[in-house]
Amino acid sequence: MIEIFKAVFYNFKFLVLSLVIFSSMLTILLLISEFIFLEPYFVTHIPSGSEMGFILIVVLAGLSALVIPMNLFRIINLKNSKHKMSGSIFGTIVGSAAGACSCGPIGFAVISTFGSVGATATAFLTNYEIPIRMIAIGILVITYFTTIKSLKSECQVTF
Amino acid sequence: MNKKAVIFGILVISLIVVIATSMSSSTDETFDVDMTRTHGSISTALGSPILGDPDAPVTIVEFGDYQCHQCHNWFVDTKPMIMRDYIETGKVNLVFVDFAFLGRDSPKAAQATYCADDQNMYWEYHNSLYTSQESKIDNGWASSERLKAFAFNLNLDMDLFNECLDSEKYSKRVQYNSQQARDNGVRGTPGFFIVDSDYNQTQIGGAQPFSVFQKILDSMI
Repeated sequence: MIEIFKAVFYNFKFLVLSLVIFSSMLTILLLISEFIFLEPYFVTHIPSGSEMGFILIVVLAGLSALVIPMNLFRIINLKNSKHKMSGSIFGTIVGSAAGACSCGPIGFAVISTFGSVGATATAFLTNYEIPIRMIAIGILVITYFTTIKSLKSECQVTF
Repeated sequence: MNKKAVIFGILVISLIVVIATSMSSSTDETFDVDMTRTHGSISTALGSPILGDPDAPVTIVEFGDYQCHQCHNWFVDTKPMIMRDYIETGKVNLVFVDFAFLGRDSPKAAQATYCADDQNMYWEYHNSLYTSQESKIDNGWASSERLKAFAFNLNLDMDLFNECLDSEKYSKRVQYNSQQARDNGVRGTPGFFIVDSDYNQTQIGGAQPFSVFQKILDSMI
């Protein structure tokens, strides 16, 4: 497993990609979920009872930053199929969407644009935010282990 | 002759019914508010009663939805400190204006607060809604039955409250308030405007912490 990490993340491009994914996802999700405010002043804030949501965002961003570069490494260097990539992208999108819709500007925009359908979707994503994020993390964990397994066998053959 | 009298009688009765109906419907739309009340660019005439000293130099206008969990967070985490340091000391007052957009129960919950206001219990009812809020939107916690139960717990006159809520007496009032939010560029709840006596106003989006409010309020007082 350590060899696989070295192979992927000792490569400067993949390391940078991983850091970019982690920092951008973390920032965007924390902004959307109102853990960070930029106006009128920059301020960070974790309301009481929202600790779980905060932890899940950090885990989600971390796993996405781990799994997406590993899958890209597979596709670029080992010329392998893109099937495993879909799991990481899907997990990331599902996890991000969960917190995006609530009473904030994104929820308001969705409801204003799509009316009652938007309101139903927003309500669903808000009501089940924590379970949806957990499912997304589950998808990313499964993708992570299948990618490791796949890289192990493919690297043995290739190197 | 008798026929004419009957027709005349029917006409008179119809006229009385029409007048009575129109009078009763206009009564439904009438409420005791100061239609000239504004704070900065916002017409708060149909918003909540003023919480705190009406002559305070600074006003916080809060746009909120009773089903919004971020509004609940602000109500629990930030509002008590604002109450303690600014509202109870007479430095600031607060007006709540409905922005009921999140779910089908949101407008009804907002209407219920004005039904409570008819019995001078607006803020008590407002507080009971936020303290009773459940995390899921439209799961029934703010259904008509539950709204009536909250009123019952506050010992409101239930005949008056039920009649008010069932007739949707304050439907247009809530719609007007929500339109005020849109007209003033509010794009989510909670949204705040802090307005001073010179009509300078600062907008705050989201359930921001006390430190942000403290900084702005101190600069305005």
